[in-house]
Amino acid sequence: MDRECALLLPGVCGVLAGSGSSLPDDTSLEKLLDWFTGLSEAGGSLLEACPCLLTFISTVVQNTASDPGVLSFALRLTGLLAATEDSFKTIQEHSVLNKVFNLQHWQEAGLWEDPCLRIGWIQGLRSMLQHPQALRFFVHSDFIDLLLQLQTDTSLFIASAANQMLAHILLFFQPGLSAGSNGVDKKEKDDGMAQSSADYSAVVMSISEYFKESLVPKESRNIRQSLQILKLLALLLAPAGPPLRDKLMQTVGDSLEELVTAGSSELTLPLMDVILSACSSSGTDERVTRLLSSMLNINKPADLIHAAAALLRRGHHDAVHTARAVRILLLPIDIITGQTLLGTISTADEHQFSVMEQLKTKTSCISMICVCLTNTPQITLTPPDVLPCPPVSIVTAVLSLLRICSGVFSSSSTGCSEVCRNVIGSGKVQKCALEALTTLTSSPGAKEKISEVFTVLIQYLENPDSDPTVLHKSYQALLKWTSVCTDFSFITDKLKHDLLEVVKKRVCDMRWEVRDSTVEFLGHLAGVCVSIDSAEEECDASVALLGGSSTTPLLREALQDTESYVRASAIAALAKTLTHRWQQGATLSEEEPEIVRRLLEILSKDTEGFPRRAVVQYFISWYSSQSPPSSSSSLLMQSVRSVLSQGRADLDWEVKVHTLKLAELLLDEAFSGHPGYKKGSDAHQAPPHPYGVVSEQAYTLHTHASKHTEGADSDLAGVIEQGVLSVLLSGLVDCDRPVALKACGLLINLRELLCPLSLGVLDASAATAKVSCELPGLGWGREIIKILTMKKSDQTKEADNAAQRGFNGAEEGGDGMCVSVCEALRSLGLDERMDVLTQSSDHIHNSPFSLLQDILTASATHTKPGEEVIVDCY
Amino acid sequence: MKLYCLSGHPTLPCNVLKFKTTTIMLDCGLDTTSVLNFLPLPLVHSPRLSKLPGWVSKDGSANLEKELKECAGRVFVDSQPEFCLPEKELLDLSTIDVILISNYHCMMALPYITEHTGFTGTVYATEPTLTIGRLFMEELVNFMERVPKAQSATCWKNKEMQRMLPGPLKDAIDVWAWKRSYSMQEVNSALSKVQLVGYSQKVELFGAVQVSPLSSGYSLGSSNWIIQSHHEKVSYVSGSSLLTTHPQPMDQSSLKNSDVLILTGLTQMPTANPDGMLGEFCSNLAMTIRAGGNVLVPCYSSGVIYDLLECLYQFIESANLGTTPFYFISPVANSSLEFSQIFAEWLCHNKQSKVYLPEPPFPHAELIQTNKLKHYPSIHGDFSSEFRQPCVVFTGHPSLRFGDVVHFMELWGKSSINTIIFTEPDFSYLDALAPYQPLAMKCVYCPIDTRLNFHQVSKLLKEVQPLHVVCPEQYTQPPLTQSHRSDLMLELQPPPMPYRRCSVLNLPFRRRYERVYILPELANSLVPSEIKPGVSLATVSAVLHSKDNKHTLQSVPKPPPVAPSKKRKRVLEEPPAVLAPKPLLSGAVPLEAFLVTLQKHGITEVKVEETADGHILHLQAEDTLIQLEEDGTHIVCDNNEPLRTTLRDLVLRFLQKL
Repeated sequence: MDRECALLLPGVCGVLAGSGSSLPDDTSLEKLLDWFTGLSEAGGSLLEACPCLLTFISTVVQNTASDPGVLSFALRLTGLLAATEDSFKTIQEHSVLNKVFNLQHWQEAGLWEDPCLRIGWIQGLRSMLQHPQALRFFVHSDFIDLLLQLQTDTSLFIASAANQMLAHILLFFQPGLSAGSNGVDKKEKDDGMAQSSADYSAVVMSISEYFKESLVPKESRNIRQSLQILKLLALLLAPAGPPLRDKLMQTVGDSLEELVTAGSSELTLPLMDVILSACSSSGTDERVTRLLSSMLNINKPADLIHAAAALLRRGHHDAVHTARAVRILLLPIDIITGQTLLGTISTADEHQFSVMEQLKTKTSCISMICVCLTNTPQITLTPPDVLPCPPVSIVTAVLSLLRICSGVFSSSSTGCSEVCRNVIGSGKVQKCALEALTTLTSSPGAKEKISEVFTVLIQYLENPDSDPTVLHKSYQALLKWTSVCTDFSFITDKLKHDLLEVVKKRVCDMRWEVRDSTVEFLGHLAGVCVSIDSAEEECDASVALLGGSSTTPLLREALQDTESYVRASAIAALAKTLTHRWQQGATLSEEEPEIVRRLLEILSKDTEGFPRRAVVQYFISWYSSQSPPSSSSSLLMQSVRSVLSQGRADLDWEVKVHTLKLAELLLDEAFSGHPGYKKGSDAHQAPPHPYGVVSEQAYTLHTHASKHTEGADSDLAGVIEQGVLSVLLSGLVDCDRPVALKACGLLINLRELLCPLSLGVLDASAATAKVSCELPGLGWGREIIKILTMKKSDQTKEADNAAQRGFNGAEEGGDGMCVSVCEALRSLGLDERMDVLTQSSDHIHNSPFSLLQDILTASATHTKPGEEVIVDCY
Repeated sequence: MKLYCLSGHPTLPCNVLKFKTTTIMLDCGLDTTSVLNFLPLPLVHSPRLSKLPGWVSKDGSANLEKELKECAGRVFVDSQPEFCLPEKELLDLSTIDVILISNYHCMMALPYITEHTGFTGTVYATEPTLTIGRLFMEELVNFMERVPKAQSATCWKNKEMQRMLPGPLKDAIDVWAWKRSYSMQEVNSALSKVQLVGYSQKVELFGAVQVSPLSSGYSLGSSNWIIQSHHEKVSYVSGSSLLTTHPQPMDQSSLKNSDVLILTGLTQMPTANPDGMLGEFCSNLAMTIRAGGNVLVPCYSSGVIYDLLECLYQFIESANLGTTPFYFISPVANSSLEFSQIFAEWLCHNKQSKVYLPEPPFPHAELIQTNKLKHYPSIHGDFSSEFRQPCVVFTGHPSLRFGDVVHFMELWGKSSINTIIFTEPDFSYLDALAPYQPLAMKCVYCPIDTRLNFHQVSKLLKEVQPLHVVCPEQYTQPPLTQSHRSDLMLELQPPPMPYRRCSVLNLPFRRRYERVYILPELANSLVPSEIKPGVSLATVSAVLHSKDNKHTLQSVPKPPPVAPSKKRKRVLEEPPAVLAPKPLLSGAVPLEAFLVTLQKHGITEVKVEETADGHILHLQAEDTLIQLEEDGTHIVCDNNEPLRTTLRDLVLRFLQKL
């Protein structure tokens, strides 16, 4: 803790103890506690550092008129302080502990009713219970019964916290796990061990009794208690050591059996969780296995399906049960699609009948089918001996279900028509089935279904009633299947034609979401690399599926879309479509100059940020993917210059950051041959800002060693000529932090290369020192000039007056000026700037010092009414 | 109560309901699908059509070269198109008292009924229905009359001939009853019999029943009808919609508690959702225009076209179609667009409120103002000079057999960059296109039918709970082409009663009560007596007066005081003085008490015998029997009138009198 804070703390304690109602905002106590937690985790005794805390606690707990929030804070703080044995002793010596956690005290004061206090009590104890002494205290104070009561508290938060706490006690103090203290002699230690083991046994005993008594609900209203106990058991069973686990299982085994037999729907999932946890820790316990088998035989179809799904989800590896779960999950799909997934069903006729009955109700049908569908990918990955059918049949069944959903199916191929009508047109089932289909690409043997998959998906894209999400998911599925497709000969020309037609139609859709998904799809498709037939040749999937020339006109049209998202997606998609050409260094196509013209127009005129960002990114990917000399270079370089100058002046900070990235690429290109140049990616950079843009693609640089023979000066001149330096300098004085940060980093790199500070002014290479740049007298140029002038005047107060005059002259006149690049880089104070920028913008307001100050100020204004301070807490 | 079904077309119904003493025709739809068997009527001479080969049967035995032409394997009648009328032979149409029209699509057969059957009744319809119905009729007459055909083909209708014909012609029913279009004069005369009604307005028919139209939400002025007497209610549901389009929303609650609900006019496209189709329409339109092609939309001149234009109004901006011209060509285009704007009270709430701003309720006003939408009466005249391509043309008739659409089919059919988009659901698009084959033009089928679908109608019926439902037989089974879609049919408990053309249904409910009014003075004279708590009875003597199906009880006229006249003859002629009716008795005779009473009156020797229904008392001394039974008392006593009277009076003491 720094000195300043230590000085403020007593005052703050006084304020809090006095009256808590004048807190600046309701998070300040939490922040304070967080700070204390941080301090105690860092080591060192809080109690010693700030003795005032103890005084605070004892004062506050006496004063029952205190704000419950402050009381709760005091309880938690006590727990935090008492987390080490030494402090615990100190606190106990002050006889604070008994008072603080005394239930009677709080009940008499009528404060126990406040959930805030109860949670404080639990959390305080929870933090304290880190050593045997604390356990001792806990047991001797008879807190265990109270805690068990709180497990079914009316407040869900409290109930859950109580559960966590119970789990903590049982797990943390398990014998055999070190909970002992250091620095005590052996005898004492043994005594301690014996003591704590007795305490622990007492706790285990009480809890076991409680479990025995309450796990099976006596009345239906007690179901919540059972639910809580089951949750607790699930928490306990997996990490528990053998003695505890066996003890628990011994205690609750009968009750669990009873619950399984009772088959309450609400308890199915938690019960399954408990049994699976028991399974995972105990392996082949006969009883647990029996329980599991009973769970997979309950006669409520909906519950059964959930239980089976839970089993698969937990990755349970026992062939018998997995096979059973798989059958349970496949049965509804079998019934509805008429695909014989389960062979001839003989054993479970009664079960099949009840499932059928459930499926005839619309709501339960949809929810059951969705659960089954969600699990199909997992099912196909189970070992073949567990599966009742080849995985590919499951793909067929999902396809068949998709057909039924869209209402297009022939009566011969389907199952029960009464069930089918429940899913016709159901968007939920469609979405689930499409998701399942997407994931099913990885199931063995799925690839042979590709043609059928394409047919169904194109049908979905065709369907006028498909809603935008369904269309989006259809596109995703199509992409995924395309990416795994190894042989395009499966896809007939008819399918390709249909796909092209439907895409053409969908880019004209009324709903912008659909146009957006379609355009995005075109882009992603171009990004998928496939090899055609047996030929070695590779091309992108959009060429393979839609033919080379059809997508670009559609995307060009989409550049005019009224919806900005669609324009942005179209730009991104165009970049992806053309990347392949750029990489091959193909000659400029006829339409490209037109596209570039349109893109520059968007960058300068579009009112929305998304398309403008996309434009800059388009040029980033063009620049980074172009291979050695190509005919497109001159168009590209021309456009890059405009992009830099327009992007620099954009109002959107993301556009500016992207522009800086483009500038970075140019720098990389120009200087990567020079020794000492750090590429943007590995240069010293601030940790990414939480809201910062992260470039999606890692671009590759194509460096040309031959180009860099002439020396840094000409490269620098070239870069300046392109407008890179203007971008960097204007970025540096930008008011958006991510922009300034990025620019600063790049400028530092440049300085390190051209004129490292380690060298004296005179040592800098004479050639580069000569290169100068023009600063405009307005806007960012003026800002830069101001900085330079200030630096200069600092440095040369006593010396070079002439230079100063020169700077001043420039400033006064409002004209631009010409400065030496090296000199400017050195005088801009980049390192200091970097330090400031690296800190997050709220670092001042988030410091503990400021927190303490806030609390003090708020109380001061509270006592002097009339002067209201509006605290900005966001 | 009976229902006579004169049309088998589920959306163009024509039924006659006999209810109480009235005969009510429900709708008067004209089945126009028959025109698909005819060759198109081109506006300008079409060398292609005129060069079509005549049809000769394979063995050469039948030669109808003049009447029938062959095109792409199908045979068409080369004559002015004819329509299939409602059945005229099932009952005497001159006995019809009133015709209730539910919407302008369902009145196109009106002139055939009102003008040639001896009809003398009244037609009831709402104002927009009449106005737009008139436009439709005018348009039809205009389409037919401006390209007169000299020839009228009849030979093919010969039974022997028809049997030898191929395809749909062979199976066409009732071809002799098919009729050419009516004339404008007949239209005017028929429509002069229409009396206008407003929603929820109650119209008395001869005092027997009351009819009243309810908003049905399908088109401007479209209505369902309630036909009710005091104790029975029949609802007639025809062409209703729950979607939010331009008309006033459907009034569902008034349909509750019907004894019989006659359900017609459900969607013809149960699998095509109108929203999806609208989207499809727009994207196909945009796709064609972008590729430099023209779009042809065959449509009726009112109805869905308003919604299409509204949708396009929003869409053209977003699809960059701002400069593409939209043409609406119909003899009644102008009237249709303008009328739509003045029927504010018949529009949905949203559009109604625009009128107060004041703004035109439909945005097509703005399209016209900005010259994006232009309308012309025909392709001749101004249109030909202002016509610019690529463009979008809305024009009729949706059957593609007559109207300006025929011209555009000839003009654009050969190029694959053009598209025809079908939006009207009344005709199969493949049949409509048959005489234009081979066709290069792209065809898109986006039928927009906003009428109730099966899902909506089952919900509606669950809510209004009619005792019985009557519907066309088509609704009781899944569509032929999708026999597995059991969701596309009506499933009700009790099952609906299906009807087909020429069915006569006995509607399954009996009239039990009739309302009778009682005059105040007569009511005043009643003396009710309570026979059990809450139930009082009174006897009344009155004269029942029935007129115009109203029944009234009036006081019995007092007999004129008998004049102390000597003319005895007259006295004899007068009706016998009305005697006060004997009081009505109720109650039971308690045995014990009765025996005591008998004893008091000196009758002591009584032998009581128990029977199944009561008791027989044998008064041995008097040799008299008294049978006391639940529903009667008999005193059997021979030739002892004083004793009988005494016994009677004793019995009466125990009974209540009214």
